[in-house]
Amino acid sequence: MATVEVLLLLAVAAFLAGLAGSYLGIGGGVFLIPFMTLALGMPIKVAIAVSLIGVIATSSGAASVYVRDHLTNLRLAMFLEVGTTFGAIAGAVVGILVPNVYLFLTFGVVVLYAAASMVRVAETAKDRAYRGGEGERPLVKRLNLSSVYFDQEDQGVYRYRVDRPGAGFGASAAAGVFSGLLGVGGGFIKVPAMNVLMHVPVKAAVATSNFMIGVTAAASAFIYYSQGLVDPSLAAMVIIGVFTGTNLGTRLLVRSKAADVRFLFAIFLTGLGVAMAARALGLFGGVL
Amino acid sequence: MITARARLRVVQDRIAALRRAVLTEVEDINRLIYHILRGGVVVSVAFLLFGFILAGLTGLPLPDHSTPPRSLGPLLVQFTPAGFLNLGVLVLIFTPVARVLLSLLSFAEERDRAYVLMTAIVLTNLLISVVLLA
Repeated sequence: MATVEVLLLLAVAAFLAGLAGSYLGIGGGVFLIPFMTLALGMPIKVAIAVSLIGVIATSSGAASVYVRDHLTNLRLAMFLEVGTTFGAIAGAVVGILVPNVYLFLTFGVVVLYAAASMVRVAETAKDRAYRGGEGERPLVKRLNLSSVYFDQEDQGVYRYRVDRPGAGFGASAAAGVFSGLLGVGGGFIKVPAMNVLMHVPVKAAVATSNFMIGVTAAASAFIYYSQGLVDPSLAAMVIIGVFTGTNLGTRLLVRSKAADVRFLFAIFLTGLGVAMAARALGLFGGVL
Repeated sequence: MITARARLRVVQDRIAALRRAVLTEVEDINRLIYHILRGGVVVSVAFLLFGFILAGLTGLPLPDHSTPPRSLGPLLVQFTPAGFLNLGVLVLIFTPVARVLLSLLSFAEERDRAYVLMTAIVLTNLLISVVLLA
């Protein structure tokens, strides 16, 4: 049984994970798993199980607010979830066939490239605006993926066109592979895929990613739960902490400047990319 | 001239009514998803807090492993911390699944075949991955 100190530390960490997760459109598993294994010395299986619960809490808590505020693109989410769930199934197979080293190295490079693109290419109100139906791919038109969102930053309603549905679908499948392997939400792939590849405004991308990650995490979480691997006391502290964190994070996002969100996301991706590459190359004793 | 203007007004009114109808529909499904997701988390947190309060009052130990749904009944009836902490976690796990089911219903109501198909695929995939990994 965990001590009171451990429970309280975990709640604080979960609060921060929920805050960052809801602001960046990720589940927060990439923060929680290393914290639980490295700082609290828990076994990796316990950490993954509890982190999956945290991902669901971040997703549900944050997504509810973003859906209400019309930031989330519900159709795009459903379209990409098809890719993600296929990817999650493939992940079980890929994990056996391909050594983790190559996976980490590939994702490290991809994530660093995405970070560079997010900093280099500016997102302005003018870029986001377009006239309805103009230059849409047939699939985007058929599935009615383009949407509008309300930006509190400048009180503007922006209509945006979704580009490259095929590439976005593929990237979501890759995110599914990763979440199947590691017990994370995969938001760190979905947000750049939507923002950089599909040209979805960053706030809408964050909201839509947050909306999606809970579904894939729920399937894995249920498996861990039914096998008795979820520690309900730790999970409870994580849920309570994350819930409090998302209440703050969602409020911050809707008011933030799009450029700031992209910059912070790029910093996050850079750290993650370096950590992944380091893990693949066996640097720092492979602790990251 | 007057009739032409009157006709134009009728057309304008119809367009406005149509726009209102579309907006309320979108608004409805957004509100519903908001309530499902928010409600799921709030109910879960309420059960968890109750579990911790029970642990404080009764001095019973906190659980360190999850109890499968079918053996949860007795723990809840006896008002143990383990029962309510497990229940809270389970409610949270099923929240996103409830959301996907709701999406399926709303797409079916709109007779949007492509999206009904996609949502059905997502649900099937979730089931397959549960069976595959278990």
